Amino acid sequence: MAATGEMSARPRPVAAPVMGGEASARSAFFLRLACAAFVFAAWEGLSRSGLFYGEVVPSLISIVRAMGVLLVDPVFWTNLKVTFLEVAASLAIGTLLGVVTGIVLGANRFLMRAFEPYIYYLSPTPRIILFPIMIMWFGVGPSSKIALGALSAFFAVALSTAAGMRQIDQILIRVGRSFRASKWQMATKIYLPAMKIPVLNGIRLGMGTAIITVLLAETKLSNQGLGYLIMQVYTRFDMPTLYALLIAVFAIAGASNALIGRAIRE
Amino acid sequence: MTSLSSETSLTGADPSKPSGSAPAMVIDDVVKRFGRGNDIVTAVDHVSFNVQQGEFVSVIGPSGCGKSTLFNIIGGLLGDYDGNVLIGDERISAPHPEVGMVFQEESTFPWRNVIDNVAFPLELQGVAKSERMDRAHHFIDMVGLANFEKNYPSQLSGGMKQRVSIARTLVSQPKILLMDEPFAALDEQTRLLLGDKITQIQQQLHQTTLLITHNLTEAVQLSDRIVVMTYRPGRVKRIVNIDLPRPRTSDVVGSDAFGHYVAEIWNDLREEASRGMADSETAASRRGAHG
Repeated sequence: MAATGEMSARPRPVAAPVMGGEASARSAFFLRLACAAFVFAAWEGLSRSGLFYGEVVPSLISIVRAMGVLLVDPVFWTNLKVTFLEVAASLAIGTLLGVVTGIVLGANRFLMRAFEPYIYYLSPTPRIILFPIMIMWFGVGPSSKIALGALSAFFAVALSTAAGMRQIDQILIRVGRSFRASKWQMATKIYLPAMKIPVLNGIRLGMGTAIITVLLAETKLSNQGLGYLIMQVYTRFDMPTLYALLIAVFAIAGASNALIGRAIRE
Repeated sequence: MTSLSSETSLTGADPSKPSGSAPAMVIDDVVKRFGRGNDIVTAVDHVSFNVQQGEFVSVIGPSGCGKSTLFNIIGGLLGDYDGNVLIGDERISAPHPEVGMVFQEESTFPWRNVIDNVAFPLELQGVAKSERMDRAHHFIDMVGLANFEKNYPSQLSGGMKQRVSIARTLVSQPKILLMDEPFAALDEQTRLLLGDKITQIQQQLHQTTLLITHNLTEAVQLSDRIVVMTYRPGRVKRIVNIDLPRPRTSDVVGSDAFGHYVAEIWNDLREEASRGMADSETAASRRGAHG
């Protein structure tokens, strides 16, 4: 008791309104932890209450067990690989076309004025409505998913590249001209480094939409991939495995997003 | 060419300079108009003056006297003009290797650290890495940033960034250093101290310099000659020789002679500046009436 008395007697820093960075980060972490604990507890309670039919809300233990089984199952890894390759190919194609289109549109005011409406109106259109056409053109295999994913990534990358191109500080271009930089030097030493951040941001957005589109397409019509696997598990009504799969997909999407985010911050 | 030589004598070529040597730069009857039809604005109107080798010349005038237009023409960024800007026999119509520009805006590359910023022109010229680092280091030292070579522009103050820009231009060793209000965005104290730095570098390198400015004390502190411009259209109103002793420091600001020059030039400038002010007030009231 003596110790606490001494502590309260000491002049305390007025930290209440502006919480110190570290302290506030720690509190936020605990709140997040408490929130997760609450959700887990509620979930487990709901699962044991028997209010839901069958395994709609499986117990946490069964989900963890299903996760264990899933992670050693070669079927999971083969399908993961298919989805991964589809997303990677979509992103590569979409990025390449998007960067080129973005540079052309960003560099040429006339072309931008002519084509910007198309890009702006088409970019929020859900790509999945084009899936039937992609199936007809590219078949039910990975090609149709890649085509659709590339289309989604393309818009994000093209728009942010064009914006990045137009936002380049004009003074840096004048500096380049005053030092008589060649066209190639202007491109590699001024435009590209100045556009690095917007382009990487575009790729990050593009990756997000490519993952969504590819998985969505796989759940609709396919014979391999994580989306296909999710639908397979769903038709068997294997709820613990379904939840384990969803958690795996969350983790993968989050990790790849964080990876690109780190590249940008570097 | 006869008109040119009479111009030189009229504008008072510095008698202490060797009279036989050709001027570093000749600005001969330069005219630049913008717009078309009834909307033509003459920004620069028959401007002529010379810059001698090793001389520090300032062009001073109120906003709207065509200073920046003149800067862009001399720097070669505005190739379409009438009259001649000559370096030797060459008429400037594109950026010239012997003219080094320093801009008013912050113009360092944010993704390059100080030494890589300064080495930029050498990189364009294909100078080998070790040599370009040596040369960049030399000029970074000269502007007093030796301890900041690895810093990025975001970690530097406005005055330090302008010094990086100046070092970056000096590293390409231009015959003529052309600066457009490089200290406009800085506070008065920093401006005076950087002025000292500029004087010191100019004396050390015998650097021919043309400074565009609207700051009276800065112009008198640094220059051998000051070209006073009129408000729109921009013409040469008068050219004033500044016979303050060299080597000079910012201490000169306190001297009687300095005050005398400032008063003299302000006398010329006041009329132009008030015309400019009246113009912008009319424009503002017209906008107000319409709005």
